[in-house]
Amino acid sequence: MEYVRASTVDEALSAAKLGATFVAGGTNLVPDVLFGRKQTERVVDISRLSELQFIENKDGRIRVGALTTVTDLLQSDLIRRGAFPLYESALEFAGPLVRNRATVAGNLLDASPAADLAPPLLAQDGEAELLSFAGRRTLPLQNFFLGYRNTGVRPGELVTAISIRPLGESDRATYCKLQLRRAMAISLLSVAVVLWMDGETCLDAGIGLGAVAAVPFRAEAAEAVLRGRVIGEVEIDAAADAARESASPIDDVRASANYRKKMCGVLVRRLLREAMGLPEVTRA
Amino acid sequence: MSDYEIQLVVNSKSETITVEGGEALLRALRRIGYVDVKLSCEGGDCGACAVLLDGVAVNACLVFAAQADGCEVTTVRGIGTENNLHPIQRQIIEKGGVQCGFCTPGIIVSAKALIDENPDPTREDIQRGLAGNLCRCTGYKKIFEAVAAAAEEIRKEEAV
Repeated sequence: MEYVRASTVDEALSAAKLGATFVAGGTNLVPDVLFGRKQTERVVDISRLSELQFIENKDGRIRVGALTTVTDLLQSDLIRRGAFPLYESALEFAGPLVRNRATVAGNLLDASPAADLAPPLLAQDGEAELLSFAGRRTLPLQNFFLGYRNTGVRPGELVTAISIRPLGESDRATYCKLQLRRAMAISLLSVAVVLWMDGETCLDAGIGLGAVAAVPFRAEAAEAVLRGRVIGEVEIDAAADAARESASPIDDVRASANYRKKMCGVLVRRLLREAMGLPEVTRA
Repeated sequence: MSDYEIQLVVNSKSETITVEGGEALLRALRRIGYVDVKLSCEGGDCGACAVLLDGVAVNACLVFAAQADGCEVTTVRGIGTENNLHPIQRQIIEKGGVQCGFCTPGIIVSAKALIDENPDPTREDIQRGLAGNLCRCTGYKKIFEAVAAAAEEIRKEEAV
């Protein structure tokens, strides 16, 4: 395998001919190469492109550079205040040894159905910024994942940043990752819920779901139930039902499809109730 | 296979290593004698190969060796020596935080990174700080006690 280190973005693009793979943190790619899960003739190391490692407020959005690590997210006040579900997902992400290397763009490009950062980024209207010699384009994250471990990023294209719609003081947001232990666990499922509020009315809703389909996705039918409404028990139950119906999980070593589907509804309801300050549902 | 020559400073010693493009830092370090960096899962799950890379705790199995060119690497042997143990190492021994000992180098590296960043960690901070390191013998209790005692010892040393 050929190794090329890029010291500028232009060098990275030049080196990324067909068949080349970018590497940054390496937390997925290095073992994938070792164990033969991924074959590539050439890796282009972009880990030293420090201009792609930033978190900033720009044009009303929070922009997170592609090479921002999960540890960087945890150290950012902007993320904690303006993207609370993303902050929470970073807390539950693997362990410190992995968080120190794993990057935001890498987590998305690995395109695991259980990618931890995907549901919160989806819920906040996340968009990937892409760069290639053909120019720049943006790709909304709901169109980013095409299928199992497959993204809409073209060969030779570099993800440079992810931008999200920030949360203000009066907006509501929460996150939950169901996992078999508190660290180093692949999620059974994960849910991020975001409600942009105008007084009592929900202006806009974002619900990101992970590990309940071949790709992480937005529960658009559930969001539609909430958008423009004053959210009470009825709306919450309807949104939870819609989210559950949008899930098409599989059986695997971590959980059954049935359990995942059921818990998808349970978690969406639980998170919406929590976000709206309603008491927990007690078991009958 | 393409070979690359890289320069590292490992535990303050300059090293030149010839590595393959797809080779992890872990294998490269072990090949030149740094067998205190333990080879176990090679998938980032166990933390036995933890090292400090330019001061940041990482799994050496998850970094291509070529990516580390020009970096400083600290292994457990660079944290303290047999005759001059680091407080973490001494406390791990005193509190009985070692049974088979295979996870110990990685645990000490993670604990060092944790205490460098947070000199007065709570029990939960310690648990979270060591969450990437598996130990199948001790049940962790004595390891956590050792790290807490070491942090206290270091705070006292620095207060003097």
